[in-house]
Amino acid sequence: MASLSEEVLLVLKKVRQRKQDGTLYLMAERIAWGPEGKDRFTVSHLYADIRCQKISPDGKAKVQLQLVLHTGESTTFHFSNESSAIKDRDAAKELLQQLLPKFKKKANKELEEKNRMLQEDPVLFQLYKDLVVSQVISAEEFWANKLGGVNNTDPALFNNKQEVGISGAFLADIRPQTDGCNGLRYNLTADIIESVFRTYPAVKEKYSENVPHNLTEKEFWTCFFQSHYFHRDRINTGTQDIFSECAKQDEKGLKSMVIQGVKNPFVDLLTLDDKTLDEGYGVSTTLPSTSNANRTVKESSNYAIIKRFNHHSAMVLAAGSHFWTPLCITLPAQFFFYIFFETSSTDGNSRDSDFFQPPVKKVKLQEAIEYDDLQRVNRPKTVPLNLKKSDRYAHGPVPLQSQQYTTSQEIINSVNYIRHEMANYKPNLTQVLSSTVASSAIAALSPGGVLMQTGAQQAINQMIPTEVQGELKHLYVAAGELLRHFWSCFPVNTPFLEEKVMKMKSNLERFQMTKLRPFQEKIQRQYLSTNLTGHLEEMFQTAYNKFHAWQTRRMMRKT
Amino acid sequence: MDEEPERAKRWEGGYERTWEVLKEDESGSLKATVEEILFQSKRKRVIESHEQVRLGMMRHLYLVIDCSRSMEDQDLKPNRLTSSLKLMEAFVDEYFDQNPISQVGIITTKNKRAEKLTDLTGNPKKHTAALKKAVDTVCAGEPSLYNSLSLAIQSLKHMPGHTSREILIVLSSLTTCDPGNIYELIKTLKSLKVRVSVIGLSAEVRVCTVLTRETGGFYHVILDESHFKELLMMHVKPPPASSSSECSLIRMGFPQHVLAALTDQDAKPSFSMSHLEGGSGGPGLSLGGYFCPQCHAKYTELPVECKVCGLTLVSAPHLARSFHHLFPLQAFVESPMQELQGDRFCQACEGELKDKRIFTCPSCHGVFCTECDLFIHDSLHCCPCCIHSHIGP
Repeated sequence: MASLSEEVLLVLKKVRQRKQDGTLYLMAERIAWGPEGKDRFTVSHLYADIRCQKISPDGKAKVQLQLVLHTGESTTFHFSNESSAIKDRDAAKELLQQLLPKFKKKANKELEEKNRMLQEDPVLFQLYKDLVVSQVISAEEFWANKLGGVNNTDPALFNNKQEVGISGAFLADIRPQTDGCNGLRYNLTADIIESVFRTYPAVKEKYSENVPHNLTEKEFWTCFFQSHYFHRDRINTGTQDIFSECAKQDEKGLKSMVIQGVKNPFVDLLTLDDKTLDEGYGVSTTLPSTSNANRTVKESSNYAIIKRFNHHSAMVLAAGSHFWTPLCITLPAQFFFYIFFETSSTDGNSRDSDFFQPPVKKVKLQEAIEYDDLQRVNRPKTVPLNLKKSDRYAHGPVPLQSQQYTTSQEIINSVNYIRHEMANYKPNLTQVLSSTVASSAIAALSPGGVLMQTGAQQAINQMIPTEVQGELKHLYVAAGELLRHFWSCFPVNTPFLEEKVMKMKSNLERFQMTKLRPFQEKIQRQYLSTNLTGHLEEMFQTAYNKFHAWQTRRMMRKT
Repeated sequence: MDEEPERAKRWEGGYERTWEVLKEDESGSLKATVEEILFQSKRKRVIESHEQVRLGMMRHLYLVIDCSRSMEDQDLKPNRLTSSLKLMEAFVDEYFDQNPISQVGIITTKNKRAEKLTDLTGNPKKHTAALKKAVDTVCAGEPSLYNSLSLAIQSLKHMPGHTSREILIVLSSLTTCDPGNIYELIKTLKSLKVRVSVIGLSAEVRVCTVLTRETGGFYHVILDESHFKELLMMHVKPPPASSSSECSLIRMGFPQHVLAALTDQDAKPSFSMSHLEGGSGGPGLSLGGYFCPQCHAKYTELPVECKVCGLTLVSAPHLARSFHHLFPLQAFVESPMQELQGDRFCQACEGELKDKRIFTCPSCHGVFCTECDLFIHDSLHCCPCCIHSHIGP
């Protein structure tokens, strides 16, 4: 039943479902239908469960809307209101079109992510099969650690949805290639298109207006690159381009930016002028006026290029500051006459003028007269090391109990004594071992002998069949996962952790029962004498001991 | 003649005029003086470093490698990317040798984005394998300082306060394409106490100067490949801890190595937890190994972080290796060769002393040449003659 607090977005009467008359309700998070006269909803679907919607073609007599769910089921609604069937259905369709994408992403993303992880990592897949499918732990517990990122990565960055800046040279980087017959081939990537849209919102508007109704995407971009808007000599001779309005908007935008000015006390944009002295050594003394009429052809084309560059840089900066209010980006030095927009962030402590808002005159002056490289290097202060007993680092810990131990002087004395003995050794052949005893001692101490077993490489891998090893490996992975969950509960601080620890203990016992014992019995039947599961049992026993210790401590604290 | 007015100026001015030191040799090259300047700065570092300061020895370092278009440049042979990756492999090995309880992660940046090559781990093999594979990457686009720094911060901010958080950037491009204000990010870095150092391959870039100055790192630009290697090795030594880092007790396990034989009664073959994934490489079932004291899981190599219970497992020699940095060897006394009487042989390498300078150990008065002095202070951390004199009767 609808909860009272649910927001109803749309109500459509006379909608039939399965040959029953009723009313269709579209709510904030779900869509529901109830038969006529009854209070309950018989059909209710969350938007997150809906995969897509389908509508019957316009010519048909029956006006229908079908919802296909992720699970494959579908529900069909028949709009039977004689006068407004099509309108109703279209209203429902529009609303669903807006709402579905919002919920779609959330549900799909997680499922897709899980599926992807299971497919990519066979070990994880095996673990999933061993633990969740055999119901040792529940699926939520399994995914709790994996999805959150085992290495503390932000889930947002998981999908590589990084915010990207706009390169100042993105238009220059397009680099058209000639395609042999007097044409140019432009290679547009998604990055370049996004940069164009973010930098020139007017072009984005044109795109959304015209594509896909009037022009295809290819035609749109061909038009864009052909238009004078794109080329450097922007001669606005009133051509019937879709982009001629954009050019006019850009002019207005640039004028307003110049009037806004720049927050640098040493720069006054309005007094900057492009004064050229004549070629050669600047002998000419006539001051050129700035009115358009007196410009030569060459000057006016330069003027146009410079204006274009300035405008482009300004737009790139403005687009970049969409996320952050003040901004300071250094553009590549490809454009000669562009203007630095030095709006900056606040920090009173930095010596850098970029840190101040507005750039404080004093710091700017200081920057101009002082040069860091000539000054003494100020290293940050280091913390002195206070070691109370630094000779403790030179040798290991001294045992606290009184033990029989020798002083270094005694050791030196004994070494000297042995050296003396060896120097004065005279063989006494009547008191040596018999040859049989000596040769058996040598045999025992050679490689492979009784006393030398531990050094040799044990070829256990060959002694145990590979399938058994493989199964044992899976058991290890699964047990490791469970034990990791168990040990992560300690120290037990919150009631949630207490519950978890008890649940994990029962999970461990269940795992031992269902997986470990059968495996053990199986290998015993194969007459393998080595104790393959001994180590796993030890690990489990250590965990149980820890649990019991914790429990007894808790009991003692309570009483 | 010239000296009197110069002396007066120096007394008045009180600063060094480093440009006067530059002298050209017959062919007009400044190479000799540049090398001299580099050598002097190296010596200064050795002398400065032997006071006792608190160091950040558990280090979490992120290496950021620029993979933009400028890395295809061939001024380092065969190209900048291959050369940098090779040097990085050597750096990673040396780093884990000198800092066994630290961790490294690698990030690459290109096409205005950053991506993680390897996560923060203490296993050098993973990093060297990833670096070897990265030689084939296509260098394209512009790097993004902002994105790589924020990617590194994502992991570094969760690290405990007593460890040192560092980022080392190898930047060859002169531009960076950022989605936001990098000065804000610099402030975030400062507040998180992350130290960022940059090694530039092309030229000095203002943003990097500000970045390293504000966060307390170093910024250098390389001259050639050997200088590049030296600059990298400079970052192997643990940096002095900043005054605001906390100190706390760290829990560590010291497992004993267990050797067992098949003929022992209770020999239990077991898998090492670190060999379960991956499959290839490393032995399978084995008898001995290191068993974690808390949860009894087995590992074949140390140092490692126990996958089951999260305890750091180290062996005592690993920690002892870090002591070299806490108790550094005293700087040797430098003197000109003319003062030396007797045989002109270096006592470490037994080669003839050819340089104009010799170094004398203050405790045993052994004489060493320049190369041996550098080797003793950088790698050996102990004077070979002093050790010998302790052993004999």
